[in-house]
Amino acid sequence: MNRLKIEPVVEERIKIYVDDSPQGVSIRFVGDIDMEDPSIILDPLFDKIHEGVIKLGVKEVSADFKELNFLNSSGIKGVAKWIMKLSEVDDDNKYVIKIIHNKDITWQVTSLPTLTFLVPGAVQVE
Amino acid sequence: MAVDKKSSKEGYIELRFGPRWKYIACARSFIQNFLAISIADQTRADKIAMAASELLENAVKYASGDDTHILVNVYPETEKIRVQVINKASDESIKALKQVYGKISDENSLDAYVSQMKEAALRSDGKSQLGLARIRYETGGDLQMEIKDNVVRVMIDIG
Repeated sequence: MNRLKIEPVVEERIKIYVDDSPQGVSIRFVGDIDMEDPSIILDPLFDKIHEGVIKLGVKEVSADFKELNFLNSSGIKGVAKWIMKLSEVDDDNKYVIKIIHNKDITWQVTSLPTLTFLVPGAVQVE
Repeated sequence: MAVDKKSSKEGYIELRFGPRWKYIACARSFIQNFLAISIADQTRADKIAMAASELLENAVKYASGDDTHILVNVYPETEKIRVQVINKASDESIKALKQVYGKISDENSLDAYVSQMKEAALRSDGKSQLGLARIRYETGGDLQMEIKDNVVRVMIDIG
């Protein structure tokens, strides 16, 4: 179990794992997020992560999308909603979201870097 | 609404289905496989399959009636690809669609996409209204919309 005590999300087409990492916390997405309303799984997960990392003073969360084949626009909304939460926290509680992408998956190359424009300094893409 | 299907040299696929969410992933894979044998550029094929998938999601969410229709044309001479999705929609859905289309058409594609993302993140009604902005930005294509007698045709030309 990770330090945030967050269980993995295991659905038919998507699995999301939360683990501790040397820098903080990592989230790994495997499969496809193409359901009609991904907010059902993404919103509670990102809420728990956001609240947990602030409570524990974690300064970096890596979001590993390398094994995510497809993310629909409703799923992008979910990720954007999480990132936008960082615009509301004070400087002491800020953390960085490091997005790890797969250069062989076209949508990741085109869409994920745009997330850096949402909240200046909150997101890095590597 | 009349749909241009083919000339003698172009390739095309056409799918009609009762709007069911679970068919969208199948349609996306099918279109991707069709494009893999029709065009050499895999990146372009991926972008087109994404666009088709987003357009179908919109159609399934907002269609009234049971007939959603997608057509993908490949024009070998110009290397242009056209994706069009046609469905019936209610007055309310059409109004919302026109609003989004008008808004994203007024900005450059990156600004429109980021701005729609910010707006989507703040919405509490469960909608994202992000699909068209995403398609326009990620494909770099020419997005058009036509409405006649509550039949909506959204079309993207990717050069």
